[in-house]
Amino acid sequence: MTFGEKQTDPLAKTHWRGDMQADYFYPSGVAGDKFFEHLKNNDDFMVCKCKKCNKIYCPPRLYCEDCFDEIPDDAWSPVAATGKIRLFTVAMLDAHGEKLAVPRVMALIDIDNTDSAMLGVIKTSDLDADLTGKNVKAILKPKDKREGTLKDIVCWE
Amino acid sequence: MAEEKKDPAFRLRETKGQMSWPPYAPGTHVRESDIREKKINYSWWEPEVQYAWSAGHAMNVFLDGLKKGKIMGINCKRCDRILVPPRMFCEYCYGPTEEWVEVGDTGIIETYSISYLDSDANRITEPILIGVIDFDNSPPHHGIMHYFGEMDKEKIKIGMKVKAVWKPENEREGAITDIKYFKPMEGE
Repeated sequence: MTFGEKQTDPLAKTHWRGDMQADYFYPSGVAGDKFFEHLKNNDDFMVCKCKKCNKIYCPPRLYCEDCFDEIPDDAWSPVAATGKIRLFTVAMLDAHGEKLAVPRVMALIDIDNTDSAMLGVIKTSDLDADLTGKNVKAILKPKDKREGTLKDIVCWE
Repeated sequence: MAEEKKDPAFRLRETKGQMSWPPYAPGTHVRESDIREKKINYSWWEPEVQYAWSAGHAMNVFLDGLKKGKIMGINCKRCDRILVPPRMFCEYCYGPTEEWVEVGDTGIIETYSISYLDSDANRITEPILIGVIDFDNSPPHHGIMHYFGEMDKEKIKIGMKVKAVWKPENEREGAITDIKYFKPMEGE
């Protein structure tokens, strides 16, 4: 081996293999808890509204991101789980870089009657269609199988 | 008198005991029982994170040498020195290193520690002796770190002559632990 040669394969020489434990724990927080507790038993979204600037948040927050005003408990109300696609992308590969048998369509959805958007998977058979502006509805898991995470929303249709 | 201009942070600090800056926010504590009893909603994900750490070319030769019961060094002719553990370049002149040489398994103690803590930081009564060994066939101050054994903690001293104690050949795996420890040479 000369000085200029580059070895890029870590398995070519003596090596050690290992696993790194990097568990990821994300609690929903106070506002997120309210949202998911409502979603467990209902088919709509719990949102909250800033009384100062009238901005409606979905998923809800404890304070307004614009004016930092606290959002009180009486500013919460449910809205229908429908929305409009703002933009979308078609994923051909999965998280490991493997080719997907069925490409996944993911979109940013403006939730109706709110000022917020959520990311979601779109159920569609036509991969070439322009989905921008399409009205979609959230498809939720059966009520007894909901866990209180964003995975309770199976897809949008 | 004109009112002094103060930034809001300063004003808050002035009102002693009333408010701190940045404002104190108590937060929401999550206990282990809240998670176990599913009192809160959460996401849990265990990503698969695997790694392979390669010893690299120079260390690979060194580790293969250990398997054969040899301690390998590499020399730099420009600086007239032998590098143990070996590297592919000399950090004095930044030139590539050249010839592989055996440095033998005897040397002297360059420095040592008497540790009353084990590798998990537990307190122990019988101390671990550890230190840096300068090999006889390499220039001074070029050595590796290893354990000392068959040695009295009262008798250990800098400059003491030591010899490697190897694992039996069939148990060696090409790791630094193929040398069990360094023991004092006769007469020490």
